[in-house]
Amino acid sequence: MARKRGRGMAAGWYGIARTATVDRAGAWAEIDDGGTVKIMTGVTEIGEGILTVLAQIAAEEIGVTPQDVTIGDNDTARVPEAAHAGATRMTYMIGNAVALASRDARERLVAVLAAHWEVAADNIVTANGIARVEGANQHMSMAEAVHLCKSRGVVPVGSASFGTDTTGLDPVDGSGRPWQAYVFGCQVAEVEVDTVTGEVQVLGVWAAHDVGRAVNPKGVEGQIEGAVVQALGQALMEDYKLDGGHTTTPGFAKYILPTALDVPQVNSVIIEDPDPIGPLGVKGIGEPAMVPTIPAVMNAIYDAVGVRITSLPATPEKILEALRAKTNAKASVAAE
Amino acid sequence: MPDLRIDAIINGRKVSRTAKPWQRLIDFLREDLHLTGTKEGCGAGECGTCSVFVDGVLVKSCLMPVAKAQGARIDTVESLGRNELSVLQKAFHKAGASQCGYCIPGMVMAATSALRANPFADREEIKERLGGNVCRCTGYQKIVDAVELARDVVNGRISATALEEEETADGRFIGANVRRLDAPSKVSGALKYAGDMVMANMLHVQVLRSPHAHARIVSLDISEAAAMDGVEAVITSEDVPGVDGFGVFVHDQPVMARGKVRYVGEAVAAVAAEDVVTARRALAKIKVVYEPLPAVFSVEEALRPGAPVLHDYAPDNVTKHIPVRVGDVARGFAESDLIVEQVYETQAVEHAYLEPEAGLAHVDADGVVTIQSPSQNITHHRHMLARILALPINKVRMIMSPVGGGFGGKEDMIYQGMLAILAIKTRRPVRLVFTREESIASTAKRHPSKTTLKMGLTLDGRIRAVEFNMVCDGGAYGLSTEGVMRKAAILGAGPYNIPNLKMDTYGIYTNNTPSGAFRSFGALQAQFATESHLDICAERLGIDPFEIRRINAMRPGSKTHTKQPLKSASLLAALKAVAQASGWEKGPPTSRGEARRDLGGPGNRPSCTLGSRIDGAPGQARDEVA
Ligand code: FES
Ligand code: FES
Repeated sequence: MARKRGRGMAAGWYGIARTATVDRAGAWAEIDDGGTVKIMTGVTEIGEGILTVLAQIAAEEIGVTPQDVTIGDNDTARVPEAAHAGATRMTYMIGNAVALASRDARERLVAVLAAHWEVAADNIVTANGIARVEGANQHMSMAEAVHLCKSRGVVPVGSASFGTDTTGLDPVDGSGRPWQAYVFGCQVAEVEVDTVTGEVQVLGVWAAHDVGRAVNPKGVEGQIEGAVVQALGQALMEDYKLDGGHTTTPGFAKYILPTALDVPQVNSVIIEDPDPIGPLGVKGIGEPAMVPTIPAVMNAIYDAVGVRITSLPATPEKILEALRAKTNAKASVAAE
Repeated sequence: MPDLRIDAIINGRKVSRTAKPWQRLIDFLREDLHLTGTKEGCGAGECGTCSVFVDGVLVKSCLMPVAKAQGARIDTVESLGRNELSVLQKAFHKAGASQCGYCIPGMVMAATSALRANPFADREEIKERLGGNVCRCTGYQKIVDAVELARDVVNGRISATALEEEETADGRFIGANVRRLDAPSKVSGALKYAGDMVMANMLHVQVLRSPHAHARIVSLDISEAAAMDGVEAVITSEDVPGVDGFGVFVHDQPVMARGKVRYVGEAVAAVAAEDVVTARRALAKIKVVYEPLPAVFSVEEALRPGAPVLHDYAPDNVTKHIPVRVGDVARGFAESDLIVEQVYETQAVEHAYLEPEAGLAHVDADGVVTIQSPSQNITHHRHMLARILALPINKVRMIMSPVGGGFGGKEDMIYQGMLAILAIKTRRPVRLVFTREESIASTAKRHPSKTTLKMGLTLDGRIRAVEFNMVCDGGAYGLSTEGVMRKAAILGAGPYNIPNLKMDTYGIYTNNTPSGAFRSFGALQAQFATESHLDICAERLGIDPFEIRRINAMRPGSKTHTKQPLKSASLLAALKAVAQASGWEKGPPTSRGEARRDLGGPGNRPSCTLGSRIDGAPGQARDEVA
């Protein structure tokens, strides 16, 4: 058989949010007319799904639906700072900031309702666009609740800042607290190696990752699937090449990217080990999901055909060369 | 050449207009008709973001001269689901198939075409039919899920209610699969990325880039370019009003080359003109005399004594060294039964976000310099730009436009400075859209790395000592190198208890394309080494690879390599979960291969016989599918 299968595994870990520095994010919330919500914070979608995640958080915290939430554009002149879009920090930093700002706005609204219904604020439940008294039948829509607030001279707004308790690293021994939340993950890859062409196909990847708490499980899967495939590109084909400083891979004809035909089935397992520090228990997934894939694939290639690729990418040429070297080594052992 | 007359039916409406003979169909659609749902990801027929229907056939509009549109019926993504999203668009929404969204209009067009060609296409055939469309975000899985969902709804195999939002219990939205709120704007092509935005009276910017890896700029003469008709401004480093320098950690990169160039593709000058063609012509009129300097193209060359120096502040070409020390490695190795040493190398990798860099700048009525761009860090960019422009910080306004994929590659402020200066100089809005080639040649890559890893263990699989030395090519400018080295140093030895550790990571300047932030930021390169190494050691010790990791795993309360106690640690849970999910057969990693009994299970896709079905014999393909 020219095609040989094998399996490999690898683990990994990652820190959430900015590294070895204090991270911070601010957010403003307003429960607006019609029972809608405005969230202002320094965020724009880069594809990870953060806008939906923040809308889910604000909706649950305030008691409306995600479709009721509008998130303002990231604009240094109009919204509070939430630092940058990267470092697997969006759900953790901005999600927690939005949760706190939402709670702050809700508290203002609920105080008015509590006075109106003459009950303790703790007895008021807000969910899915309805405000009601727990165990009683007083209720009104969130639209009416906002209207009531405004008739009492109250605009239900809130704000919050979420920061980390972190430090830089000691310049000599590196000691320090670079992050307050860590995530861990592990993946298994199953490959098929064609010993004639050297081509490697990754057929399946099983990926288990801790995200603290999944705000949108399908979104988490999307991050894992995308990360695995990006890592696969680096593992098997992508190679930005230079010759005397000039690139010889100037476009996608030369710089080869994975297509739908190259990708494995990705089987995600979401682990929820809540962050003990932040108000939501969330952590992150964008970058960590990429860490174990490459070594898992290289370990699987070794399992399949007994050659260890230590220099990326594992191109067909490299696999064939390694297979030849292995055969030659065996032959010379036999000859001795 | 005279203008062309184009009469075509576009999205069902008769269009009669003139076009320039050099225009491609994509230019005509985007620039003249403002149908910006059709995206330009590569301009070379390689990515599919520009897919449209011409007389019902899926075509890459970047490859089609506009002249060929004469008399044709053209349908763009805007033609789909005009009043209500199409079933396929709804399926993309439901399945979570869009992330950054930049590939999505093209993907929706290709998928529409696929289901028209074969409404019963199976998963493998769908993948083959989408093979010409690249997505950098999703890993394709949810895209193919979406096409399968649409297929089944259209065929009546499942109810259309499957496209709707799932019920959520009593306002508990955290933990629910809420459909992405931004998906409708992406599947319909309605969302405007920076390169889709226009402002009245807008100028177009082009950038002159260095052809040399290392050279002194002897002279730079812009007079002829500046005097051209249609050219509003030409700028060089002399036009930078404030402190000229940017970077994520060190501000070592000028807005445009100052005195010398350090890599091929570095910006040297920029032109703002009435249209892109004029701006490009003007670039050719800028006269630069370079005196080539000796260059270094590898870390070995850069570290050699007497090597050419890139930046005066770093005479040894070392951008950053990060050490981490625990215990005493000499003692640890002495206590070890097995010591394994191995070198690992990783290559430079391009982010290849489908949206090339683009930005739009203008000075508003209050004198605020405003820049819209897919920047991943407008907070820091505003700080740096205020210094560069010598303006109070509230006179600089950065707006983050929707990002068509970033992965760290859009954290660097490599073009916003030029846009700001041109907007100030011309008092008109200016827009720059990178070509794919420009994006690849001039922007950061993942750091190539070389790691020497030495690990000592006892026979029971316990790690006693690790010596880890990683040297990375940071390229010509610092960008995120310092941070990448830090993350690699903190995380590189893996989530394992290692009593004696000597970890060093080095970022080195060379005259290669700069390296910068890239998803997983140094941790990927370093953990590739460690995780490969653990398997080598496990084989030598006869231990299952899960087991060797379990033996050494950090647990709650363990101290990290930077001596931070972990409040929680989920590694054991992750190991257990994946061993179970994959049905892992225990055993040391001795190249068991075909002898394993856990191969070929349901979590795999079928192994692929590339293109043999739709290219070769479509009829036969159906049979095989059925
Ligand atoms: S294929 Fe046309 S832009 Fe990429
Ligand atoms: S969603 Fe496909 S490229 Fe971003």
